[in-house]
Amino acid sequence: MLIELESVTKIYNQGRPNEVRALDAIDLRIGAETMVCLRGASGSGKSTLLSIIGCIFPPTSGRAAIAGRKLSRLPDRFLTLHRRRTIGFIFQRFNLLPELTVLDNITLPLLPLGVGPADRRARARELMERFGIIHRENFRAAQVSGGELQRVAIARALINDPPIILADEPTAHLDSRLSHVFMDLMAELRAAGKTIVITSHDPLVTEHPAIERIIDIRDGRIHAA
Amino acid sequence: MQILARQINVLDYALSSLWRRRMKNLSVLLVFTAVIFLVASFQMTTGALTRTAERVLENAPQITLQRMSAGRQVDIPPEYAARLSSIYGISRIVPRVWGYYFDEVTGANLTVMGLATDRMPMGDQLHLALASGSFPGPGSRGSVVLGRAVNDMVQARGSHLLSLFRNDLSMASFEISGVFADATDILTRDLVVMNIDDARDLFRIRGDRATDLCVYVTNPNEINTIARKIADLLPDTRVVTRPQILKTYRVVFGWRSGFGSICLLTALTAFIILAWDKASGLSQEEKREIAILKVLGWQTADILAVRFWESLLVSGISFLVGVTLAFIHVAFFDAALFRPIMVGWSVIFPPFHLVPEMTAQVVLLIFCLSVLPYLAATVIPAWHTASVPADSALSGA
Repeated sequence: MLIELESVTKIYNQGRPNEVRALDAIDLRIGAETMVCLRGASGSGKSTLLSIIGCIFPPTSGRAAIAGRKLSRLPDRFLTLHRRRTIGFIFQRFNLLPELTVLDNITLPLLPLGVGPADRRARARELMERFGIIHRENFRAAQVSGGELQRVAIARALINDPPIILADEPTAHLDSRLSHVFMDLMAELRAAGKTIVITSHDPLVTEHPAIERIIDIRDGRIHAA
Repeated sequence: MQILARQINVLDYALSSLWRRRMKNLSVLLVFTAVIFLVASFQMTTGALTRTAERVLENAPQITLQRMSAGRQVDIPPEYAARLSSIYGISRIVPRVWGYYFDEVTGANLTVMGLATDRMPMGDQLHLALASGSFPGPGSRGSVVLGRAVNDMVQARGSHLLSLFRNDLSMASFEISGVFADATDILTRDLVVMNIDDARDLFRIRGDRATDLCVYVTNPNEINTIARKIADLLPDTRVVTRPQILKTYRVVFGWRSGFGSICLLTALTAFIILAWDKASGLSQEEKREIAILKVLGWQTADILAVRFWESLLVSGISFLVGVTLAFIHVAFFDAALFRPIMVGWSVIFPPFHLVPEMTAQVVLLIFCLSVLPYLAATVIPAWHTASVPADSALSGA
């Protein structure tokens, strides 16, 4: 299994009056080369679950192993190192830095790895050609269209060639045409061997034929898997 | 190699970040440069004034004796010198005439000094203080060495002679045999140096008398002891030592520099507090950027490194430009902004040229007072702000 969670609980502000139990005894196993959707309303705990799968923080209790690494035993520094190699993120609204060029946005994850400028450019150009945005290479992110932004975000998630792609509500601010385009691109990546986890409650995502499994989350618990 | 490549990438990102916020950074750079320029100018002006005074006073007598009567200075008869010879440790006593001459044409007050150079220790080295020409030889009459302002005044009249009126309005003319170097401007700019007999003749002082006695001692460590003995032996005299004169200059310049520096350091402190305040509170845009970078695999140390490089570049450029401008201000504009504060109109009226002292000590002091606090004020709070949780980039946060 690429993603294995066992009795995973996440409590924010533990022991304080504002304590919140975001995840409660989650058991989840996701194999390699699958495409999964985490479905749930706002505040259901799906983003917290995505953060644990994405090695952003470890669970409060329980066992989480991502790509063979047990998260609970990793200090923050090593979580980051593991995240660099293993996870590619696609955010809601894509979270690009608007003042940076398309090329610079795509290569951001490579900077802390010490990859030189020529290698960075070569890797980014390959992805830009693949997604048809090579002509926007030196445009600032603020200057490109929504559809192009989407592809820039996907290219950035793939620049490290990670085995897992996590997408957090990726279609929340897209029209139906761009949502379809996005899901088709995800299906291509899945076919190319990536494991994809998408959080969404958008029917365009949940009903997409490439989705192999839907996991419903309510009040921090999994209700159907 | 990977660590180096990573640091180069981080530096590259810091440069692009500076460029993205160029208006904000440019305003910080300008204010910081201005403050460093002012602090450095003060430090360099003080150094230049003190060093100039030290250089000029190298040839001054170790002890100067003036006779006082009714609180005013009067001529010293030759027997005073004879009485001093009884004090052990005095190597030489040289008479000197020192007076002031008011030039009605220009309205300038000239300082006239009559020397017996043949009797002065190191009298043969006085030419080292000159930019051109030489001192009048022993016993040579009718020639003078001029400070630069006096020489300019004579040249402006199209003359090669300095003509002065005696008390009885008869005229005495002197050939110009040399001009003092600009490094000695602080004391020589309005100075006319001539043979002591010429000075006696000009001021109508009796042939065996002087206005001052210059006392030289065998052991410089004994200057104060011997000065005390002189004061005891000749109670109607005023005894001034070279270290006292130097100390007076240092105190005057030091006090003024200290006062100015305190004002400027207050401004620098205010600026650094502002920088601290700015660094500790991030805008939403900056928080979002940090969160995105962290999710993308940047560590807190990488974000701190970006902030460090940004601050180092801003403060380093400000430091280099500020110090360079300060040097130009002191060297080429004679510290025009601070001159009235540092020199004081009542202390040394004539203008003089400053030769800036750019010692490693001064540069290091300014560096420690400006760049290091700025780095601390921007990087230390960044430690807190760089710990923005990475998950805040998720779900549209």
